[in-house]
Amino acid sequence: MTTVEGPVLQARGRCWTFGDNIPTDRLVKTKYVVEPMSVIVAHVLEDLNPRFPLEVQPGDIVVAGKHFGQSSGRAIAVKALKATGIGCVVADTFARTFYRNAFEVGLPVLELPGVSELVSDGDVLAVDVAAGTFRNEATGQERTVAPPDAFLLEMLRAGGLIPLAKKRTDLFDPAT
Amino acid sequence: MGKSFAQKALERASGEKDLVPGQIVDAFPDLYMSHTASWRCIRTLERMGVDELYDVDRIAMVMDHISPADNAKTAGYHALCREFADRMGVRKFFDVNAGIAHVVLMERGLIKPGELIIGTDSHSTIYGALGALGTGVGFSEITATWVTGKLWMKVPESIKVEVDGPLARGTYPKDVMLRLIGDVGADGATYCSVEFHGSYVEQMSVSERMTLCNLAMEMGAKNAFVPPDDTALAYLDEAGADRGSYEVLLPDPDAQYRQVERVDGRSLVPQVAVPHTVDNVVGVDEVAGTKVDQVFIGSCANAKYDDLAIAAEVLAGNTVAPGVRLIVTPASSMIMAKAASDGIVSTLLQAGALITNPGCGACAGSGGAMADGEVTFSTANRNFQGRMGSYQSSIYLGSPATAAASAIRGVISNPQELLA
Amino acid sequence: MNMVEKILARASGRQSVEPGDVVVAEVDLLIMHDLSGWLTSRVFDKQVGGPVRHPERVAMVFDHHYSPPTEDAADMLKANREWARRNGIQLFDCGNGNIHHTVVRRGLVRPGAIVVGSDSHTPVHGALGAFAAALGNDSHAGTVLPYGKAWFRVPETVRVELVGTPPPGTTARDVALWLVGQIGEGGLIYAAVEFAGPYVKELPFWDRWLFPLLCVDLGAKCSFVEPDEVTEEFVRSLPPGAADRPAHSDGGEAARVLRFDVGGVAPQVACPPTVGNLADVSALAGTPVQYAELGGHAGGRLEDFRAAAEVLQGRRVHPDVRFNVVPSSREVFTEAVREGLVLALHEAGATWFPPSTGSNQAYNMGAMAAGESMISTHARNFPGRNGSAEANMYLAAARTVAASAVTGTITDAGELA
Repeated sequence: MTTVEGPVLQARGRCWTFGDNIPTDRLVKTKYVVEPMSVIVAHVLEDLNPRFPLEVQPGDIVVAGKHFGQSSGRAIAVKALKATGIGCVVADTFARTFYRNAFEVGLPVLELPGVSELVSDGDVLAVDVAAGTFRNEATGQERTVAPPDAFLLEMLRAGGLIPLAKKRTDLFDPAT
Repeated sequence: MGKSFAQKALERASGEKDLVPGQIVDAFPDLYMSHTASWRCIRTLERMGVDELYDVDRIAMVMDHISPADNAKTAGYHALCREFADRMGVRKFFDVNAGIAHVVLMERGLIKPGELIIGTDSHSTIYGALGALGTGVGFSEITATWVTGKLWMKVPESIKVEVDGPLARGTYPKDVMLRLIGDVGADGATYCSVEFHGSYVEQMSVSERMTLCNLAMEMGAKNAFVPPDDTALAYLDEAGADRGSYEVLLPDPDAQYRQVERVDGRSLVPQVAVPHTVDNVVGVDEVAGTKVDQVFIGSCANAKYDDLAIAAEVLAGNTVAPGVRLIVTPASSMIMAKAASDGIVSTLLQAGALITNPGCGACAGSGGAMADGEVTFSTANRNFQGRMGSYQSSIYLGSPATAAASAIRGVISNPQELLA
Repeated sequence: MNMVEKILARASGRQSVEPGDVVVAEVDLLIMHDLSGWLTSRVFDKQVGGPVRHPERVAMVFDHHYSPPTEDAADMLKANREWARRNGIQLFDCGNGNIHHTVVRRGLVRPGAIVVGSDSHTPVHGALGAFAAALGNDSHAGTVLPYGKAWFRVPETVRVELVGTPPPGTTARDVALWLVGQIGEGGLIYAAVEFAGPYVKELPFWDRWLFPLLCVDLGAKCSFVEPDEVTEEFVRSLPPGAADRPAHSDGGEAARVLRFDVGGVAPQVACPPTVGNLADVSALAGTPVQYAELGGHAGGRLEDFRAAAEVLQGRRVHPDVRFNVVPSSREVFTEAVREGLVLALHEAGATWFPPSTGSNQAYNMGAMAAGESMISTHARNFPGRNGSAEANMYLAAARTVAASAVTGTITDAGELA
């Protein structure tokens, strides 16, 4: 039911909605942090929607309210979301550590103030992070915002910070 | 023929006369101690549908294992015990902040000479330090006793241990007991009542007697006993036990003993129980130089005030070796207060110790777990494989002085070298 | 440029920077705790490898565990120790203290430095005039460890000016909590927040500390108090470390200025489920608590123990409450013994725990059963961080925590009989 077009930066899929101020503690509970990813991903966001880890499909889109991913800066929370295979996360606003981690681990995210008012669970959405475009196919509503910084898009296209840093020695290791 | 302490104590508790070893009686214990796992007794009671207890004032509950809770499940067990104590009117309830059950009950005057005390902990033999008959039982036995007030018991044979002193500097009751356990073996006193006598025992403090009686368990004893004397009575006075509320029971001079063991304290050097049994005992010099990762000064065997004072004496002006973790867990809240008021806590902190809240601590799984290949030197009473984390880790047991010396040097060390 | 811009310009080799610029800057200090250190070391070993470029600029502090309760935890700490030794980085093992307090007390944080760490409260080091931000494991593993560098987007600065004098009984912790409620969680996303104004400038160092600490709840990237005599005097009291490179703002317009009069602020309580869910303590009065704790990034200070000792003078902890006290560092524990605070609080019924983050995430302590409640000086109250997701964590100042420990219900210290 999903198609991921072109590079990773476009997504089309079913929507899962979450509220405001969701902490990373609830994405990946403390007791699972040290578990293998196969275990972590089976519990991601389960406190807030027990169906999510069981039913999420590759290409689905997570939509949240404001300050998504606050609290602990654990990248494992972003990695767990990415491991579900979702196409991207769209939120009114993100906590900055979550936002930073998303680009660093290669999970497309788009900040779109007001998006949480535009969607219901199960709507099919089409999002292009690089273009900053959003469309809810269930309602026909469309929005456009400024896309993320070019450096962040470069990071996303490289698959994250670690592959980018290895390529861009001019930035991180100019001596060599 | 004369009677042993155990015969007299069980006659008192059962109301029967002229008991002989091997006989089985119904005894009425004076106190039933249960620790954190009291929740099992409570759940059993609920399943039985019983809510009438024999005598709620004989129940003592102390939340000493896994204190404080490190997961929601344990927190729930603690909460269940509190709720039960409140509902049933258990006045001798001591929460996670009080300390190790045995020490808490003794220092608060709740253990008295001549009494029969049962506890859900094998080291309940410790109550013999005040001339009581203390013995460990299971959860179901405690639960049954809550309801019926009685427990069947077999009258044990008795063993007499004579310890003569004085001890050399740097050796302590722990060394006496490790030597004795090494000599008689872990099953050397199985099911027996072990009575401690001799010139050294007479001049010991109650705290030191606690170490003797506690460790008697590790030679298989059913209970242990030191004859209450002026030292014991003074301790009881201070603990608030009214002299009219108990009767001292002493063995008859012609009591019959299955065997007599002697330990010559004067020739004793510091002893160490090496992995993985308590009766695998050598002189410290035989294992000196063994690298340690962690040192634990804690447990009902050796974390009383004088134990902390001995450790502080060795550690004063020294620091813990790099890479070594020194964990100190005072046995009770009252001991922590005394150690905080007289500089011991400061000395330990300055040496680099980690001082935890009072309780069983690492001896019962609150911290101190080891990874593969790690080594702990401990003042506790057990060194079985896997008791502190990995099955591939090792535990050595010795006195607080040997523990402190080993923490300073990072390898097992003879404290006599540091105290000289 | 302001302080943050100057530090980022210096560390990235530029004459100047402007908000919105992306720069790659030299990092002076990377701090990791037992959990983030473990996660970062695994990413580093699996996906990056090679030597750590500047091991002397990396510190690991074990603070979530004060002693491992399980073999799995022991394995994690052992792996961390071996990783630290192999890479030559500084290790502060269990019992040294809370990560942020420990690195400050040991002189590792210097004015003008760039400090990064996975712990989300890393921005607290802006209290010393450092640029401090929380980064993720992949930044640390991918660029800080191998190259000594990290990328930053230069933040816009928002100046929060605090004026007025709060009523007696209201402490800096109350004002800081109150501000989260006023500005709102996520109210200053990505910003550099400068705390200024006469109220802040007159606070002693360890009270200032509480303001940059909370900037993560506002969504900010970093925070600072412009270094002044108070900062300098505090830094002089620390053991010597790397050279200080204090940066002082000269111009550099703030994008926004927010002014607050703290004159009427009452003691505050942050209620579950989030730090921004604030109420005056009077609105919560009577709510039962089974646990009270002085500890965590925002607590465990000498100031907290002194305040609690004052409240507990002539009083005792309620029998239904476990009142746990967790020093923020070994230095603080030692000083608390010297001042008699350890004995005073212990005798009033409190229990002392090893220097650590205490009940933060309940690795060793602080787990609650469903329906139980704790009031603490901790920095976080999200459900599920302390045992059951049905348990409640209330955040407050030390005075309120101590008063609540006395009555067994949430209590304004000023209302104690």
